Amino acid sequence: MSTPDKKPMVGRRAPLVDGIEKVSGRAMYTADLDHRGALVGRILRSPHSHAELLGVDVSKARALPGVVAVITGDDCDKPYGILPIAQNEYPLARDRVRYRGEPVAAVAAVDQKTAEEALRLICLEVRELPAYYEAGKARQPGAVDLHDDRPGNLEREIHHEFGEVDAGLSAADVVREESYDCAEVTHVHMEPHAALADYDAERDRITLHSVTQVPFYVHLRVAQCLDMDESRIRVIKPFIGGGFGARTETLNFEIVACLLARAAKGKVRIKLSREETALTHRGRPRTGIKLKIGMTREGKLTACACEVEQTGGAYGGYGIVTILYAGALLNAIYDIPAVRYDGYRVYTNTPACGAMRGHGTVDVRHAFECLLDTMATELGLDPFKVRRLNLLEAPTRTINDLAVESYGLPECLDWIEAASGWNVRKGALPPNTGLGIACSHYVSGAAKPVHWTGEPHAVVNLKLDFDGGITILTGAADIGQGSSTILAQVVGEVLGLDFDRLTVIANDSRITPKDNGSYSSRVTFMVGNAALQAAERLKAVLVAAAARKLEAKPEDIECLGETYRVAGGQDSGIPFKDVVSEALVDTGTITVKGTFTVPREYQGGKFRGAGVGPSMAYSYSATAAEVSVDEVTGRVTVDKVWVAHDCGFAINPLSVEGQVQGAVWMGLGQALSEETRYVAGLPVGPNILDYRVPTIVESPDIEVKIVETLDPGGPFGAKEASEGALSSILPAIANAVHDATGIRLTETPLTPDRVMTALVKQERAAKQANSRGAA
Amino acid sequence: MEYLPDFDLLRPKTVDEALALRRENPEARLLAGGTDLIVNVRRGIVDPKAVIDINGIADLRTITSPDGGGLRIGAAVTLAELLEDRRISEDYPALCEAAAEVAAASHREVATLGGNLCLDTRCLYYNQSEWWRSANSYCLKHRGDVCHVAPSGKQCFAAFSGDLAPAVLVLGGTVEIAGPNGGRTVPLGEIYEDDGAAHLRLAEDEILTAVHLPAAPPGRSGYAKARVRAAIDFPLAGAAIALRQEGGVLEDLRVALTGTNSCPILIAGTDRLVGETVGEEVAEKLATMLPKQIQPMSSTFTPPGYRRKVVANLVRALFRHLTEAP
Repeated sequence: MSTPDKKPMVGRRAPLVDGIEKVSGRAMYTADLDHRGALVGRILRSPHSHAELLGVDVSKARALPGVVAVITGDDCDKPYGILPIAQNEYPLARDRVRYRGEPVAAVAAVDQKTAEEALRLICLEVRELPAYYEAGKARQPGAVDLHDDRPGNLEREIHHEFGEVDAGLSAADVVREESYDCAEVTHVHMEPHAALADYDAERDRITLHSVTQVPFYVHLRVAQCLDMDESRIRVIKPFIGGGFGARTETLNFEIVACLLARAAKGKVRIKLSREETALTHRGRPRTGIKLKIGMTREGKLTACACEVEQTGGAYGGYGIVTILYAGALLNAIYDIPAVRYDGYRVYTNTPACGAMRGHGTVDVRHAFECLLDTMATELGLDPFKVRRLNLLEAPTRTINDLAVESYGLPECLDWIEAASGWNVRKGALPPNTGLGIACSHYVSGAAKPVHWTGEPHAVVNLKLDFDGGITILTGAADIGQGSSTILAQVVGEVLGLDFDRLTVIANDSRITPKDNGSYSSRVTFMVGNAALQAAERLKAVLVAAAARKLEAKPEDIECLGETYRVAGGQDSGIPFKDVVSEALVDTGTITVKGTFTVPREYQGGKFRGAGVGPSMAYSYSATAAEVSVDEVTGRVTVDKVWVAHDCGFAINPLSVEGQVQGAVWMGLGQALSEETRYVAGLPVGPNILDYRVPTIVESPDIEVKIVETLDPGGPFGAKEASEGALSSILPAIANAVHDATGIRLTETPLTPDRVMTALVKQERAAKQANSRGAA
Repeated sequence: MEYLPDFDLLRPKTVDEALALRRENPEARLLAGGTDLIVNVRRGIVDPKAVIDINGIADLRTITSPDGGGLRIGAAVTLAELLEDRRISEDYPALCEAAAEVAAASHREVATLGGNLCLDTRCLYYNQSEWWRSANSYCLKHRGDVCHVAPSGKQCFAAFSGDLAPAVLVLGGTVEIAGPNGGRTVPLGEIYEDDGAAHLRLAEDEILTAVHLPAAPPGRSGYAKARVRAAIDFPLAGAAIALRQEGGVLEDLRVALTGTNSCPILIAGTDRLVGETVGEEVAEKLATMLPKQIQPMSSTFTPPGYRRKVVANLVRALFRHLTEAP
């Protein structure tokens, strides 16, 4: 591998390979692409929460000069959805609308003014139905079903029990139960949704540029909904301004853009407003959690029972996966002998929820870490001690069949304890300031793909030609998380080459191999492993060529990247370019492929729902937060966050730190200020003034510690780095607020009004206790 | 980003030209920073045929010290310019503190004094897109006949949310208004009405051209604001106080609030506390004056009960701060 004078490629704090384009403004996002000749596409959205769609009259809109195409639900009768078992959504509503904001019709016109005018001319005839905005209401007896095949509006209920829960609770010295209510949140990726669809009427082919994290799934669903052969479709993902899970399934506007382009026989661009982006949603559902934990006096967990109800919105989406994750990842972080999980995913007349960073796990982890803290406080135990008493020992297999091969949580805890000065500062801080901790974990790629085809989980192609440049071809979507950089580092490390010989081409279905996409933190682990294999195969080709040239045996060849030589020899060797020339003799351009497949034994147990939760590796995080609470306003300020993250091995420490800092921000928002509320099904703050994402002013000082456990399955030992830390942020903050004030809020976010109400209540209770004491 | 309709952009060089343009274009809207207007245009709340950009009127862009003392601040002076002016930060701290709390740094580069004083009232049922409001059958403030905040009433409860007005009120500021029949100068409080749908008593053909602050009174002033985030957000409630004390005895006290009603509220009766010795007791008396004079409603999704409570807390804390030794 690397010679001592050469910097290793992995473990290097490398700026992103596409960073220059981004910071210089040269990066072309979907809305920036060449849209000469493109029509403006606009979507008419339902003003009704729940109604039978009796008629959509588009005659006046069609007659408006400048309107080229108008489409409705009649133009597509193929339902779609990310999960093959839950496809119940149409790109444009047919027969029924189920939430305010649901696309009903779409227009392609010569300009925006005309398109807007055309939308105003479309008349809907409906018969209103009762609407439900909360899971509880939708589940009440007699409620109208949103979907005929889902009685009681239950998309999925889950009842899992591993170990003897009742016995475990009986054996506990302390059993506590608490209910938590976590508000719905949405991703607020910086770039609003956009799509550019170009239909070639002569050849019946379509090219779609879209903002997706999953170009492959978009490809499949566009083919399905347009009833076109997949070979006639080309999907390209340009630069993406964030995703966070919002774009891990095919979204209605992507299919609508294609339908419009075909109807208009041309090119159509759709740019959604921030409000429409919020309505497209797919964020984290409002989640009600009833959690019961049993513990011995010493702090050892004996059992856990958890009931979760998610207000899932109007369509299936990832819903089943979300409700399964919520239960599955109660495990694989602590040693809990028995776990019962009852999950209810409920249909409601609100925009469909979906995957969001930390998919399914964030709210439940929040509840768990808060209740753990509550019980530790009650038992007079240090929160670190309680967690340390319940650690796993890797390698191990959990009661629900998850394989934990590497486990850096102990080191994470040690670091945050020391860095935060816990042992001297906890309890010694000024009034209204406090410290809190929490832990979390996440999968490094879902072991079972959404579509089981028998193909490898990941494929990477490398192309080497006369010029001596290596092109890395991948379908993995870099959405800002830096996956293209990681792949370049992996390939460069194996071949001993630096970035200047490497070019990553990502996401053009005509050019790059298929990839399942950027979700479940799978890319570094799975695509990284495929890149590793591809690079090793290419290296073997080059070593063989060098051996020919140097008249030596391949096993004697030493690859120094830019030089190949006979190991141990006096010769200075031959340059890389000469090796390449030799390698091309008789064969020409070299293309090698690397693949990666998760072995069967990591793909989960045999019970129903076992496919969600398994992964070859889990990341671990521990967070300590220091907060201050303003008694005057009830506002919580996070002053400092220490977060340690076990990512196995940091292929790019700079990138890992950035991802973990991003997780802190996202967690901070959900903890303190972000929530989507509805008035009669209309989101109250579908804009970034009223939906309060933290600004740089709210950002605390963040110290990130990378913990490396060298996972046996990961490329160079790497695991995921983007999602795991998030779940520990909310409970660390909530626990710190308790330390600062004595209040325990069971709702998120901890907005000033909620904090103030709790402070007033606490003050009143103290006064009553005092007066009782005095009497 | 919502669709921005076409309109004529007019750029007068003098106040007289601007007044003439207003007469010729009765439905025209004035544009200074545009941080309030353009958002509403994009949301389809305002559909102006013409927009009169007053940034080119030199007289509106300056801060001057008139002979009689005090300051004259042009209406189109930006908040960033206000913050940089030492005469303001030294003599009128409440105004400076309020300006510093408006939105974020980039907004303050363009947002103006006049714009903030004339800020449209805000409500969760009003500051929404055309699609949203139409799906909700509009509201009393715009195109509809029901106030969703108080459906049985006939009043609009959109909240005034400017940060500067309470500061100008406690500092005794007056505003200079140009109109077709010459100018008038009135105390700031007189341009407001506690009606969310018509909170400004300015005629269509009038232009607020400047604020006059009287010669800096001895004493102290300040502004405090409650909001969810420490930047960007409009006030859930805000309070300005100007006071003077001599040997621990209160000689002058003015308190004004924002975010609680459809207009900024100068609290009445604070003169009754003059002569009292500063301390917790006075702070409490002051806080008890507030509830009867304010009426926060469910115009934000932060509950009115919180805004009622927090405004009293802000006033108490700010009063304490201003009466403590500097």
